[in-house]
Amino acid sequence: MNEMMIKLTSVTKSFGTVTALDGVTADIQAGEFFSLLGPSGCGKTTLLRTIAGFEEPDSGSIFIDGQPMRGVEANRRPTNMVFQSYAIFPHMSVAQNVGFGLRRRRLRPDELQRQIDDALRMVSLEGFGERAAHTLSGGQRQRVALARALIMRPKVLLLDEPLSALDKKLREQMQLELRQLQRAVGITFILVTHDQEEALTMSDRIAIMFEGQIAQLSTPQDLYMRPKSRQVADFIGSMNFLRAEILRRQADRIEVRIEGLGKVELAGDQASHNADDQPAAGVRPELLTILFDETDRAAREVEGEITGRSYFGDMTYYEARLDGASNAVTISMRNTSGRPVLDAGARIRVGWEADSIILL
Amino acid sequence: MSPGSLRSWLRSPDGRGLTLVSPPFIYAVLLLAAPLAAVAAFSFWTQNYLDLDRTFTIANYREVWTEPVYRVLMLRSLTVSALVTAVTVALAFPIAYFVSFRVEPARKPLWIFLITIPFWTSYLMRIFLWKVILGYNGVVNGSLLQLGIISEPLNFILYNVNAVVITLSHAWAPFAILPIFVALEKIDRSLLEAATDLGDGPLQRFFSITLPLAFPGIFAAALIVFIPTVGDYVTPRLVGGPSGLMISNMIELQFKKANNPPLGAALAVSAMFIVTAISLIFVRISRRYLRERA
Repeated sequence: MNEMMIKLTSVTKSFGTVTALDGVTADIQAGEFFSLLGPSGCGKTTLLRTIAGFEEPDSGSIFIDGQPMRGVEANRRPTNMVFQSYAIFPHMSVAQNVGFGLRRRRLRPDELQRQIDDALRMVSLEGFGERAAHTLSGGQRQRVALARALIMRPKVLLLDEPLSALDKKLREQMQLELRQLQRAVGITFILVTHDQEEALTMSDRIAIMFEGQIAQLSTPQDLYMRPKSRQVADFIGSMNFLRAEILRRQADRIEVRIEGLGKVELAGDQASHNADDQPAAGVRPELLTILFDETDRAAREVEGEITGRSYFGDMTYYEARLDGASNAVTISMRNTSGRPVLDAGARIRVGWEADSIILL
Repeated sequence: MSPGSLRSWLRSPDGRGLTLVSPPFIYAVLLLAAPLAAVAAFSFWTQNYLDLDRTFTIANYREVWTEPVYRVLMLRSLTVSALVTAVTVALAFPIAYFVSFRVEPARKPLWIFLITIPFWTSYLMRIFLWKVILGYNGVVNGSLLQLGIISEPLNFILYNVNAVVITLSHAWAPFAILPIFVALEKIDRSLLEAATDLGDGPLQRFFSITLPLAFPGIFAAALIVFIPTVGDYVTPRLVGGPSGLMISNMIELQFKKANNPPLGAALAVSAMFIVTAISLIFVRISRRYLRERA
């Protein structure tokens, strides 16, 4: 797992006056499910196309499996791509689509057929070979695109927002299947997505990109729990920000006063390197708890008032103002039986933990 | 029908549709169907010097289908049309490809506009221009003589079938360029990237993706050029010379100088029949081809 598959060094690419990639450096390991996550226009698709060979970087280098890729045409790279539009050849059958890349390998007809059947089985499309491509549904097209790329046994499979055109149910199912498929074939997958949930559920590691640069590259858990900047914290999940003031900074302890929560001592790694003396304290909505019963007790408690709520079926998201805080916070609570739904104006007690705070 | 119900019928979708379509429909009946019917009727009559014998006969058709001269002219018309179609489509494709794939999207309308500019001059004018270009003392011969490539003017470029093919191919070029251009424009560019991604070089990609997907446009272009050129008579008359005459020239001759409209009509109906048959076969083949590919 520690063998390096792709090495990107200061990759830069501009289109006219627009800088799409601004010195991207990253190492992607063999067999890894790697995601490029970011808002539209952040350069993630450009980076994917640069790895595929459809764009040549202005400067910087790309190595795939130890081989330099400068000047190597897209059709000679050990990568294959699943396009956002799927790009299924409309004038061919499913089998012809899947076997497209194998034409040049001069296989015996029965061997070719066997490989196509295997690839179709892998994406659960057995028996679809003779279907005309234009009769397929969106989900089936996606599977054909996957089979067509995987049959080439690429060193790296590139996926350009492959699930964005599917409806929610199908998308969730395909996320699971893609993850399982990746484990089964052991090929390095690089997924481009703007959907943070998708990136979190599927990836081994995620690179979050803003304005052509990687803002943070880490595991899903680390990105969620230890975002390095407010931008990252805001993009992944939702994050409450409260004003904070550093009172005392020691080697591994930091004493802060947080608006609405009070004075607390934090571990050194709870502060981002970007945090200055007037940082924001971030806390996830699910790490704040409304104490519904008189008897509920938490290690740390503060009081506040409900200002609004959104009901999501399994969850309720409360807007609340903690006493002494200038910003409102969001608190998410699971709707279990017997738990009342609170209205605006209700006084609440909120429990929290010191280790759920991060300083940004 | 009472006036009230007529008024409400005229407001119904059916009524509105018919009201809308009736002026062009009447126009088409008067100027297309009626003359066609007249030609068909004539073809079964006989001309006796000054008056027309209206008894039904198929003698005209017997003559058309047995006399060798008509067969020669018909075959020549079809050959010339087929040649013109092939040349036009072959020359139109690279132009359409260039505009679709190489020209910046914002510039494409300008290019299409430029392609149509030669067609602002009249058809006749352009044929005469080709006479100037291809003639014995014309531009081509003059330049080649001046360059010392030939020692005497070329004779085979004017007043024969070659001149007809050259002139007609030029005349019909935009009608071939446009449908091919549209077919090429419709090709999703990510398909080409997908083919590249799967290992195809530019040439393989062209033959596996671009050309098959452009076929509907190519078929359309071929039909659009083939059908009207079979019946063209101005170009063969002006640049074809005696060896370049086509079936329409014979039809004209029968109607005018030979004073035998019934025979001319039978020739016209026969030519129409043959062109229709060929076109239908062509459509059949292309449909089957497209369905197999689809």
